[in-house]
Order: sequence, then structure tokens, then C-alpha cells
Amino acid sequence: MSASEIRSSKAEELRVVHQPLPRHDQQEKIAGSTRYAGDLAFSSMLHARLVRAPVPSAKITRRDAATAAAVPGVACVLFGEDVPHNLIWVDVPGQTVEVAALKASMEVLATDRVRFHGEPVALVVADSEEALAEACDLVDIEYEELPGVFDPTEALAPGAPAVHAPGNLLGEWNIDRGAVDEAFAAADVIVEGTYRTQPVDHAYLEPEAGVGWLDDEGVLTLRVATQVVEHYRDVARILGIPDSRVRVIAPYVGGGFGGKEDMTVEPYLALAVWRTRRPVKMQWTRQESLLARPKRHAMLLRYRTAACADGTILGQEVDITADSGAYAYLSALVLLYSSVHACGPYRVGSVRLRARCAYTNNPPTSAFRGFGGMQVVFGYESQMDLLARRLSIPPADIRKRNALARGDVLPVGQPIETEVLLAQTIDAVCDRAGGKPRPSGPRRAVGRGIASNIQSYGRLVWLNDSAAAWVGWQLDGSLTVRCGVPDIGGGQASSLAQIASELLGTPMDRITVHFGDSALTPLAGTTTATRQLLMSGNAVYEACVLLRDGLLGAVAEAAGQPPGGLRLGPGGVTAEGFGMDLREALVICRRRNVPIEALGTFFGPKGKPVVRDLHADRVFPDFTFGTHLCDVEVDLDTGKVRVLRYVAAHDVGRAINPRSVEGQISGAVVQGLGMALLEEVALDDGVNLTGGLFQYLIPASTDVPDIETVVLESGEGMGPFGARGIGEPPIGPPSAAVASAIHDAVGHRPVVLPITPERVLACVDAAGQPG
Amino acid sequence: MFTRAFRYERAQRYTDACDLLREHGEEAKVIAGGQSLLPMINLGLVQPGLVVDISRLAEGRELTVTGDGYLVLGALVTHARLAADPAARAAQPLLPAAAGQIGNARVRNRGTLGGSLAHADPAAELPLVMVALGATYEVTTGQASREIRAEDFHLGFFTTGLDDDELIVSVRAPVLGPGWGWSFQEVARRDGDFAMASAVALIRSADGLIIESRVAVGGVSDRPLRLADVETALTGCAAADLAGRVGPIQGISPAGDTGASAQYKARLTRVLVTRALAEAAARAEEAA
Amino acid sequence: MSEAATAGGGGMSEAVTVTLVVNGRPVTRAAGAHLTLLRWLRDEAGVTDPKYGCGEGICGACTVLVDGEPVSACIVLAAQVDGAEVTTAAGLLGGDGSLGPLQRAFHEHHAAQCGFCTPGMLMAAAALLSAGRPASREEIRAALHGNLCRCTGYGPIVDAVEAAQTEAAQAEAAQAEAAQAEAAQAEAAQAEAGQREGRR
Repeated sequence: MSASEIRSSKAEELRVVHQPLPRHDQQEKIAGSTRYAGDLAFSSMLHARLVRAPVPSAKITRRDAATAAAVPGVACVLFGEDVPHNLIWVDVPGQTVEVAALKASMEVLATDRVRFHGEPVALVVADSEEALAEACDLVDIEYEELPGVFDPTEALAPGAPAVHAPGNLLGEWNIDRGAVDEAFAAADVIVEGTYRTQPVDHAYLEPEAGVGWLDDEGVLTLRVATQVVEHYRDVARILGIPDSRVRVIAPYVGGGFGGKEDMTVEPYLALAVWRTRRPVKMQWTRQESLLARPKRHAMLLRYRTAACADGTILGQEVDITADSGAYAYLSALVLLYSSVHACGPYRVGSVRLRARCAYTNNPPTSAFRGFGGMQVVFGYESQMDLLARRLSIPPADIRKRNALARGDVLPVGQPIETEVLLAQTIDAVCDRAGGKPRPSGPRRAVGRGIASNIQSYGRLVWLNDSAAAWVGWQLDGSLTVRCGVPDIGGGQASSLAQIASELLGTPMDRITVHFGDSALTPLAGTTTATRQLLMSGNAVYEACVLLRDGLLGAVAEAAGQPPGGLRLGPGGVTAEGFGMDLREALVICRRRNVPIEALGTFFGPKGKPVVRDLHADRVFPDFTFGTHLCDVEVDLDTGKVRVLRYVAAHDVGRAINPRSVEGQISGAVVQGLGMALLEEVALDDGVNLTGGLFQYLIPASTDVPDIETVVLESGEGMGPFGARGIGEPPIGPPSAAVASAIHDAVGHRPVVLPITPERVLACVDAAGQPG
Repeated sequence: MFTRAFRYERAQRYTDACDLLREHGEEAKVIAGGQSLLPMINLGLVQPGLVVDISRLAEGRELTVTGDGYLVLGALVTHARLAADPAARAAQPLLPAAAGQIGNARVRNRGTLGGSLAHADPAAELPLVMVALGATYEVTTGQASREIRAEDFHLGFFTTGLDDDELIVSVRAPVLGPGWGWSFQEVARRDGDFAMASAVALIRSADGLIIESRVAVGGVSDRPLRLADVETALTGCAAADLAGRVGPIQGISPAGDTGASAQYKARLTRVLVTRALAEAAARAEEAA
Repeated sequence: MSEAATAGGGGMSEAVTVTLVVNGRPVTRAAGAHLTLLRWLRDEAGVTDPKYGCGEGICGACTVLVDGEPVSACIVLAAQVDGAEVTTAAGLLGGDGSLGPLQRAFHEHHAAQCGFCTPGMLMAAAALLSAGRPASREEIRAALHGNLCRCTGYGPIVDAVEAAQTEAAQAEAAQAEAAQAEAAQAEAAQAEAGQREGRR
């Protein structure tokens, strides 16, 4: 049995919330009956496929569709000129309010120039996959290669080829706090480190897919694997039609992790449907996905940390250079997250931070679980480990010494307003792990590492985030919930049912959640940024409170009961010596014009927009803290690393569904271990060599141990019932924990990801072990 | 997966299959297990006009130990069958050990011995073991057959000594004789991935001294390589001194990639050869 | 087993007629010979629980049982397995559409999050369980290593398979006990009848 524990510090009598209930969506998935985006088919359906640039930087000198269009079965071949508004604006997706975010654009189909290997240039639509395959080969496109730049540091140097006018600097954030130079001058010890992270692919099991059609009213409807139904606005803009004439439906998604946050098939499907007036299906191949979908930002992180002999950190200097790839997407925001999280869950005294992201002709980079807060963990936790060694202070102790507490202020200026259980998470993993195991044989070494992290949940406060949900009773007492939240596997939809069940007493099997439809469900924003429990959870909470209070008020009046004494539960309305069936109570409501349906809207915390020189008293709603522990065994002759043991502890505030929480932690840790040890998008001067899953290595079941989880519940989160977000936080620590464990095993630290066997051997050599 | 159409013909006998290959030349591709061909078709690397299915031939499925010390395997024996067969394990344990490392269970259920040998991926397990064992392959044109030694068959990257109308019918490999020990070593990034390097050793020893050996490496050249100089250096050597006799491996030319450089693979090869020798020697001791 | 169909003359055409017994239901279609088993199941037979994940035979999302053995449907041609019995996740359901024992174990142990790998994972697990030998957690992991999952971290899946294995073993033991008891009863009844005979 995967061992996991839950430790609650604020007990509440919860009936449904906090139960490890099997999720209602899982039943269908396990039966095999869930219809994902690629599972729907229509008669007289067409198929669409993109023709993509084979080179990373080029002028397009010729485009000719005649031969391709003549292939029997081809409906049309489209170039950029065929797109009414051939631009994808990068606003922040899913926002209900316009924000003055960095606007950068890219073409839906490139007309004049391509900037990355795989950029879409033509769209072919045909009546069969076979005709498509033939026609795509025959689209005649000629390129004249241009000089490109493939490293962000080089891209920022004078004279570098400009990926976009006027230059390659896309975004910049600075933090200056306190007197950094004085802090360094006064320090007993200064530790320096340079760390590199690599471009990583989401590698969800479901490649991008969707189906589009015109409904009976001529509304362009897209049923696509997406984390954001609000992209209907972007599609409408591209086609030049009113927003209200586009509908996006999000079925259950086969994994998102941020890779389905930006548009994927939407604009192309929409174009094909709009042009042909017929249903169209688009299924990207895995190879296409690996080639051209935005990746996690590769980052170069330079840290200098100043501390006293007793381990107190006096100052941090951080320099971050991130690769934005060929188009902006969400890079500026990713870098903002990196900047805010760059010093970790610690008091660090004075700070000087410079963070820049640069355009290159590499594949674009954008959102990926952790969103910039993840890469910096490798930096700040490696520094903590080096500091611990230099000062001969145990790694656990040095972290506790510097741990943030309620009232402390982050370098960016935001105070921590909730209780921080960092020390408890450190103790939890150390207690759980016990002693370090012995090596399994000669020429093997065992090491242990720990890593703590901080990761925000909820969106940047100046984005004016909000979410809405509609909850309504049926006359028979069953419940309907409508919420625009896309469910990407984290139990987003079923959590809403659990919350509603807790508040209204309706049993889970009498609650139906309709989700993810931009036309028919109230908009709840993106399933990203670990925000949905906070946002749509609270929206459902609000709607349920309205319903409950309305119903109880009506019953109190009608039955002459004192209102305060009434309770709503599975048995209906009850009080001391009184009981009423729910259906009867509903009749009373309707007679008294008390609504039995309610729309709840939850508005996220607000703040002022940030500028380049970051200083804000509020950037994120709140944060989740945690610590991981990892034991590894290293083969000193081959450099292969085996993860023997992994324990992860997080304060989740309140676990709405403990099994879902454990699942999120376990899955995120394994994804993090993949980045630590295995995964890399192979680029050679912008040419993406990653040809398939045979090359892009994600962890399989034999690559990881059972992930042991310790779930702490402070009750201090801002989500319903005091929950914090848990989707992203656990992906941060694994790289650092593994690196520290390897350092412990062989005596030298890996500083480049992924930590391949070759890099481990280099550490073994550097430490002077006999080779 | 989303490929152009091609034609399909199912052969009943080797002669039919070879006839079809002669008739259709370059546009015809043979499919047995399909575990190498179909991924290449799905990825658009190969576009046959005709696929000749030999997976249901009545022939090519034997697995027998002969009286004169050979294990004879039909070309259509699947990796799963070879990995699990008790007779094969008793006769030549190197073969089931190697077959069991191939890919994953699904690949092993469909993939065939003949298919793997004919595909000739330089990092594949079975060509390496066949070269190490000095196995011979029987190949046919449907009209005539000939024998070809493994080391003469595997010529380069995905290149073999097969003529365009020839198919492998069976493989003859020596059984593990008395006094012999064996070892199969490979290191991949994950279980079942293609090896970054692999090594096979067979050692016959007596009274703690090496009498003869066969050593070969895979994944570090365009085909499996016998290490004749290592074999020579080992003769007469004491089992305890083996590690000292293995220097940097000569004659290999590993290809570097993002995950592992050529230098690392060369270093890994030496480690694996050393380990293979130690394990084979230990097994030889036990066998004595 | 059918020969290659001739559609419109000639010895070889692009179409073949393939019959497969899919989850107990015979399905016959004439379709392109180039169709993989995966495409044939999804597009011709309307069985969409095996998924397209890579087309390389690596991710395992397309795993189905062909005559009881797990294969990657994306790298097998439907024509090659003409006449075979194919089982997908939907084939593990009970007659009334309820989850089968292995599926119930997945459900109880939260072994599915996004669910995309689940149908293939179930078939790999089903193949392991049908071998009948009790497997340790390590052996379960090894049996599943060809099925990739990006959401669960694998632990809950291993838990589910282990639980299903235990339940199956207990059910078998209970069955064996019941059969033994029945046999003992029958023996005793016979003996008694024999005695009565003897007394006459």
C-alpha cells in the first residue's frame, strides 16, 4: 500500500469534504466510456492537418497549393492570407477583464517568415487521413534560411540576429530590496552557484485533438482538449465574428499541465469549419506535439548567497536568463513567477534580482506546471544545500532557521498572511524516512537530499481573477452544478460536487456537474495556476451558501421555527424536534418565491499591476509550502541513478479529497523526477531532434519508487474549508532533492538538468572517486 | 498511424513471400511482427506500396535443441517465446536473457527473431548475441537456401547481407557447452530502452584459468563487434585478474547524442565488458 | 481467416475484409489494408477506449489483448490479426455494464486521474493477473513498465493491481474451499447411501 498520512491541525466536522471518495469521473474513465476530444466522430466529417516549417529561421519565398489541392478528397489548402485576422494576441488567457498585459503576437499561419522549427505555414483539409497525408507532402513551400540565434544569453548580446523587431529582450523583472552590497560585505560566507535547466515537454498521454462543427444556429462549436474554454474569444477575433457566435466545449482532458493552456488546435479547426461549413476533426501526432508545442522555459540561474556562520541568510543575488523561444506566449508572466519565487520559502535579508527572458529561434516556451516557480527551486535549494555543507549545519536545520513565518515579507514586498508549516514539513519527511539505507553492493553509493519549496496558488492578483458557478436543485432534491471549469484529471469537477454535497447535504450520487462549456456553463477561468479549487470551489461554496440560507429561511418562516436552529443535511431540514423532507422544503421555496437556483461568483484578491521594478504588497493570493526527501543509489561506474525512496510533505490547508491530493502529489513528484533525471527536448541550433517518445524519455513505473506522501492540514488556505492549492507545488522540489542526494552520495554536485548518467560520472570524477 | 494507403498480401509459405518480393522490388516491405516496420511507417520514415505479411507462415516456428550441440530457432519465434522457453534457457541462456530485455512485453509478444536480425539496429540485443555466439542464419530465396554467419550478415546501420528477395528462415546457435559461463550486460536510460552500450561475454575456464572466450559489444558501432584483441588478452589469464586486462575498448565508434556523448559511451563499454567478463567467469566457475 | 479481398479486380487491392471478435462481439469490415488495429477498432468498429498516444508502440495507451496477449494496437495491422479475439477495457465490464473486479480496484484506489492511459493500463494489468502467479509490487511495476502515465505517479495503479490480485486469490481460495466442501458432502452422502444399501 502506498503509505500516506494526513495530519490535521484544525479539526472540523466534515461529512463529505475530506473523505477519500472515489471520483465520479473515474468510473467512466475506468469503464473506457469517457469520450475525449479525439473520440468523437461525425458522418461527413473532414480531417485537418498543418504543414509546418522544417527549419528554425527562414524567409518564406514561395507557397503554392495547386498540386496539393488537386489531390482527390482535398477540400481546401489555406495559407495565412486566407485567415480573416491572421494574428494570435497573447493576452493572459481566460481573463474576464481586460488587463494591460504584455501584448505580443504571432500569426495563425506564417506568411513571410518562420521563426521556429515546426511553425505552422499551411492548413490542409481533406475527407480522409490518407488524402491528407498525400496532400500535405505536396504543398509547395520554399524557404530561404536566415541566421538564427539559439541561446538566450547570445540573443541578448549586441549584434545577435533579431527574432522580432526591435530586439530579443522580451521581458525583464528586477527586485531590489535592502542593502545587498553591505550584506555581502558583512557576511561570514558567500556561496555561489550557476545552474542550468533544460527545455521540457508536457508529454501528456493525450496528444492535442478536437472536433469542430457549426450547430443548428450556425454557432461555431469546438470540442477540444483544452484547459481554457475562454479561448472562444480568441477564435472569434481570428475569424472576425462576434464572441457570442463561438462556443468552446472542454471534455475530460487527457492531461494538460499547462500545455493545453494556450490554444492548440482551436484556430485551425475553427478555420477549417468556417471555410468548409462541415464538421472537421484535427488530431495532432505525438511527433508534432513534441516538435512544435511550447515547452518549459530553459533557464540559466546564477545565485550568490551571503550568510552568517550560524546559517542566517543575509542576502541573495540572483540572475535569471530564460529562453522564451520564438514567440512570447506567456513568457513574461513565467519569468515574473520565477522572480517572485526565486529566493524560496526563506527570509533572505537583502535581495538583488535581475530576470530577463529573450527571444530565440528555439521552440516557443510557455506555461508548464510550476510556471517558472519550478525551475528556481533547483537554484535556491542547491544554494541552501551548499550553504549547509559550507557551514557544517544539517540541511534540515539551516532551512528551519531561515524559514518564512506569518508576517515575514517576501522579497517582492508581499507579506505572508497565513501560517507557514515549513518546519513541520521538514520534520515530517525526516521522521518518516528514518535512517539512510546501505549501498546494495561495491561500487555503489547511497545519498540523501531534502528540498523545500514555496509555490503560489491562484492567479496574479492584478489580473482581477474571478470564477462563477451555478448551483440548482431539481424538484426531486437532486442537484445540478454548472461551472465552466475544464477538468484535466485533477478532480476539478468532482471537487465541486464534494463541496456542494458538504454544504447542502445532497448525496454525491445525486449531484451532476456539467462543466467546461463556454456557452452553457458560467465562466470559471482557466484550469491553471492551481487556481480552480480556490476560484470555482469558492464560487460553488458561495452559491450553495445562498441556496442553503434561502431555503432554511423560507422553512423557518413557513414552519414557525427559529431560523438559527435549522440544519440542512442528508436527511433534509432538521432541528430539535423537527424534520422536513427536502422536497417539501423546495415546494415551500417555490411558493414563497425563494430561488432554488443560484449563481455564485468568487472574486480573487486584487492588487495593482506590477511593473518591471517589482515591488508590490500583493502579487499572489497565497502560497503552498512543502518539503521532499529523496534517497538515491548511484552506480559509480556507469553513473546510473536509482531513486530508492521518496517522501513528500505539503501543507494543503484542507484536503477536500485526500486521495486526490495524494494523487496530485505523487504525479507531480514523478513528473519532477522526469525533469531531474530523464527529460530533455533535444535541440541542435534550433532544429528539434526529438523525434518521438522513443527519444523523449518520461518516467515509467520502474523508474520511480512508491511516492510516500504526508499531507499536513493547517486549515489556513484561502480555498473552501481552508484549502490551499496542490496541483503545482509538488513538482518543484524533485530536481533539487535528487541533486542534493547525488551530492551526498558521490561528493560533488550536479548543476545541469537533466542529471544524466554521464553528468553523474563527471561528478564522481570531480570528487576524486576511483574510476 | 495517419498514413497513406498501401496494399497487403499475406504469404502462406516462404516461396510465396519471396516471389512477391521479386515481383514488386523496392516498393515491397516484409512484415512479420511489425514492431520495427510499423513505427517507421507511422512516423512517415517509410512508405511501402505493398506489405508482405509473413507472420502467419506455417514454417519458421521451430525451437529445438539438436543432438550435435545447436539450438535451432525459426525466424518467426517471438521474443516472448524465446525469453520464456525452458529448453532455450537450459541450452543457451544467453538468448532468452537477451530476448527478455527487448522493449516491453507488447513488443516481445509480436516481435520476431528474424525481424530483429533483418532490421539490424546496431543497438539491438539479438544481433549482438548471435555475433558473440558465432551463430549462422539460414536464408532463402524461396528457390534456394544458403547459410551465412552472423558476423558476415550484419554489415552496418540497418544493413545486412540479405539480397532483396531473401528471407531468414532459421538461426543456428551453439548451445552453452560444459565449462562455459555467459553474461549479458546493457545500460539504458530506462528499462527496455535501446542500450547506450551493451556487452556479451562467454568464457570457458578450467582451474581458475581462462581457456577461451568470446566477447562482443553492441550499440557502439554500426553493428555488433567481436573484440578479438580482448579475447586474445584473456587467454591463459586468471579469473581474478580479468578486470586488469580490460583497457579502453578499441575499434568502436559510438555515436553521441543529447543524453550521452561518444566518450561516455566508450567509457561505459569498458565498464560493461569488465562486468560481463566477471559474471561470465563466475558462471564458468560454477559450471565446472 | 480470410484472404485479401479483391475490390474491383486484380490480385491485390488496398482493401481487406477483416473479422475480429471485439469484446465478444464479431465485427466484420472491409477497409484499407494499411489500417492499424488501433485505427480499425476506433474508426471501423466504433470501439474508442484504446487510445492514440504515440504511434510508436511505446506509451501503451493503445494496449489491447489479442487472443489474450497484450499488444500495441498502433503497431499491428488489423489484417495481420484477422480472426482473432480482441479485448479492450470495455470488455472487462460485467454483463450489466458494471465495473469488473480489476476495474473496481482501480476505482477504489484512485488509479485514474486524467484517465487517458487507463484503458491500456487495465489491459496490461489484466494480462498480468491472468498469468495466475502472484506478483510482488516490484513485479507489478515491471509488468506495467511499458504503459506510461503522466498523472498518477504509478503508486495508486500498483496499489490497485495488488488489491485486485489479492481479491482474485481470495475468491479463488474461497471457490476451491467451496468446491472441496461440496465434494466432501457428496462423498459423505454417497457413503451414507452405500451404508443404507449395505443394511438392506
